[in-house]
Amino acid sequence: MNKSKEFIARLQDGQFTRRQALKALGAMGFAVGAVPLGVRSALAGDNATYFTWGGYDDDGMFAPYIAQHGGPPNYVTYGDAEEGLTKMKAGFVVDVTHPCSNDIPRWKDSGMFQGMDKGRLAHYDDLFADLVNLPGANDNAGQWFMPFDWGATSITYRTDLVDLEGKAESWEMLFDPRYKGKIAVIDSAADTWYCMAILAGVDIGKPLTGDDIDKTNALMKKLRPQVRMFTNDMTSLQQAMASGEIVMAITWNETPVALAGEGHAVRFAGPKEGALTWCCGLMMHKDAPNLDGAYDIVNAMTSRETGVYVIDWWGYGHSNAAAFKVADPGILAQLGLDKDPIAYLNAGHMGVPQADDVETRINRDFEAIKTGF
Amino acid sequence: MNSGTGVAARILGTYAVIYVAYLYIPVLFLPLFSFNDSIYISFPLRGWTMKWYETMLANDALHRALINSLKVGLATAFISTVLGILGARAVTRYRLPGQKPVVAIIMLPLVVPEIILAMALLMVILRAGGSLGLVSISAGHILLCVPFAMVVLMSRFEGFDRSLEEASYDLGENGWWTFWRVTFPNVLPGIVASLLLTFTISFDEFIMAFFLGSTEPTLPVFMWNQLRFPKLLPGVLALGACILIASVFIVLIAEWFRRRNTLDSQSGDVIIG
Amino acid sequence: MTMLMNSTESKTVSQVRDYVSRRPGLRGYLLLSPTLMIVGTLMLIPVLGMAVMSFWQQTGHMAFDMSGTLNNYVEALTRDMYRVLFLRSLAISGLTTLVTVVMAFPLAYFIAFYVKRHKMVWIIVVTLPFWTSYLLRVFSWKVILGYNGAVNSGLISLGIIGEPLTFLMYNPTAVVITLTHAWATVAILPIYVSLEKIDRSVLEAATDLGDSPFMRFVRVVLPLALPGILAASVLIFIPTVGDYVTPSLVGGSDGYMIANVIQFQFGRGSNWPSGAAISLTAMTIVAILVGVFVWVARRMSGRRS
Repeated sequence: MNKSKEFIARLQDGQFTRRQALKALGAMGFAVGAVPLGVRSALAGDNATYFTWGGYDDDGMFAPYIAQHGGPPNYVTYGDAEEGLTKMKAGFVVDVTHPCSNDIPRWKDSGMFQGMDKGRLAHYDDLFADLVNLPGANDNAGQWFMPFDWGATSITYRTDLVDLEGKAESWEMLFDPRYKGKIAVIDSAADTWYCMAILAGVDIGKPLTGDDIDKTNALMKKLRPQVRMFTNDMTSLQQAMASGEIVMAITWNETPVALAGEGHAVRFAGPKEGALTWCCGLMMHKDAPNLDGAYDIVNAMTSRETGVYVIDWWGYGHSNAAAFKVADPGILAQLGLDKDPIAYLNAGHMGVPQADDVETRINRDFEAIKTGF
Repeated sequence: MNSGTGVAARILGTYAVIYVAYLYIPVLFLPLFSFNDSIYISFPLRGWTMKWYETMLANDALHRALINSLKVGLATAFISTVLGILGARAVTRYRLPGQKPVVAIIMLPLVVPEIILAMALLMVILRAGGSLGLVSISAGHILLCVPFAMVVLMSRFEGFDRSLEEASYDLGENGWWTFWRVTFPNVLPGIVASLLLTFTISFDEFIMAFFLGSTEPTLPVFMWNQLRFPKLLPGVLALGACILIASVFIVLIAEWFRRRNTLDSQSGDVIIG
Repeated sequence: MTMLMNSTESKTVSQVRDYVSRRPGLRGYLLLSPTLMIVGTLMLIPVLGMAVMSFWQQTGHMAFDMSGTLNNYVEALTRDMYRVLFLRSLAISGLTTLVTVVMAFPLAYFIAFYVKRHKMVWIIVVTLPFWTSYLLRVFSWKVILGYNGAVNSGLISLGIIGEPLTFLMYNPTAVVITLTHAWATVAILPIYVSLEKIDRSVLEAATDLGDSPFMRFVRVVLPLALPGILAASVLIFIPTVGDYVTPSLVGGSDGYMIANVIQFQFGRGSNWPSGAAISLTAMTIVAILVGVFVWVARRMSGRRS
């Protein structure tokens, strides 16, 4: 026994001593042990989760929530609502999420959402009744869809770099060979594909037929070689438009507002075929882990305060009618938002809900065309 | 060698210098522009500033992301190294029937494109009703890191002189005691190397963290989200510069351990001899 | 100590212990079992799950018919889009591997044969960039090749071009350039190690036998360096085939790779079975290609020596 100890002691000469090794490992183990890896449960108790489009993770939309909770909700983002739906169907649970009006029946049918209790919706009566009562938005079970933002999808172009040669603004502008490779579009079938459907003369206010889809796909295929960027990332797009890399792009209302704010010569086109209009809103998950927080998110986002922020900073319409009385009338007129929202939405083309297989096919075709097929 | 050597040496030397410049210039762009007084990354440089570092230090979201990355990195490093020790020990100490296919299974994550592993894990976690977050990211990272830990530790366990253990057994020590007093100190440099390597892999890993994460981004995912915002970009560059410096330190520490390690085995030989 | 423990152990425990200690294979597997179990759980279950799912059929949004079909594989192998994406991914990775290895070889050769002192310094110098954030290394090429990037702003301020060049970005070439840089170190190290192992007396013998430096290189150095070249090629080829970051940042829609479509099928495409089939097909193709590559290379080197 003694011999072996001596042997080992000699062996350890010039090595790490065991004590040192123990200390190092101990420190490591402690550090790991002290790390609360099961954060999820703790989190769920403290804060609600909002699952939305990239870019809407903007604290400015949550001032009342922040005042109440000391911080914004947890944001998780998707590039496109369809992607969000897939993730939730796969089992991802959030509190509140952000689809658009034509998604309502499909999302409701998924059985993943709950009707909201009107009694707990603080700004229910301040919202535009037409938006609150959009098809499928409510029934006896409650309010499934709380409208939040609305606006148009159209072409933003640099008036100093794009020459219309006296022609009227039109979706045809995107096909001008002079601007080949200087065009960007939104990387989402819900926008770009539907814009092409409008140009193809398809009535997107009705269930789409196979023929409608083929006609639109043909235009999408024609458009693809013109396009330099398919993107959901409006900040990169703005940069590219500011530098002149992109001169024309399919965007939402926010891009021209932001670019004009930086002093660039841009216009949000009113295409003669009509723009694509939309209204998006909030739905609450059936198993929302933080129901109170979920209502706080909805109430914050539909508040007058947030409404003014959305109008003035984002250039979007908002569902809160009272916000329009407070917002800067100059900005409203400039945005064309000084009218009744329904009049605005009806002035363009607003898509109606499509069947599951139609939406799936459109998404699949859009992806294939984007990739070059 | 022959007379051509001088010319060859000069050509190769020049090539080596150009190559190193090629390796470094893109990497050094980041620190360079992190001191540039403009949010746009273009030449010519505008002027010297430290303000991006101040922005970086003041950014709470960045701190949270850093902490998330540290948590995931430490957990990954610790668990995958422990698994690596067990695996490497088993494989090098015992002649296992069917050893080759078993080791191949453990090494498999090295040869499967990461996106496939990420999607397969995502699918299983969500369908099994699990939640996404730091735990799922760590699971993904452990999967990626165990093979690396095994490789590093196996070479160390193999290099280690078995006769030391046998001597200890002969002297009446039991298996655990021998491992703790003889084997462990000998393979410690390998363990440290494995911890450093797996931590670094986890700290820099993006795909698993992106697809298996939820509300808490790790540092690479946080940076990915920030790359879109021109105003935030210089702050990300400042962060990149800091990561670069930290990496230099870690590599130098690892190298120091490696050298120590070589010296140790020499001194060990002398003792046994 | 040992005796104390024995006395407190029950008889069955000590029996089990004896049994185990008499069978080293079992002991080894006991030791290996945690590692095997965890890796198995984290990889085999997901991959098997993927394999099962690849035989399902999408019937709607996240609705699947589980009765079993080969349609997803037929589609993965025959649909133009997938075929082109597979070929493009393989071409991009193959080209990246080739360029990276060819560029790295002279450097590794230089360090192994011409650097007499401070070899380690050279190795550290070429390794360091690899330890910086992968994301930022890829992003830095966006900064270099972009519309307002370093190349364009540099050329404009030098008066060489009037307008930024747009062909630098958003195409497969940009992906290859970026990947080549990002994976450089991975090529250098294994090649260096295999060159370093070459017995210098073999080289001298070749010279003594009258080989010119070139012949010596082809007949001696290259075959002996082959294991390093193989290792480097495999280590670069496999991860780059499945890279998602680089095509997303600098590839544009013409630089789309198979990882992008896999992500699509699991995301907004909501066609998980198809995503699973594409993934497994990609895995198989990569495995076959790597296997064939290694086999051919080994045989070639075997014949030479």
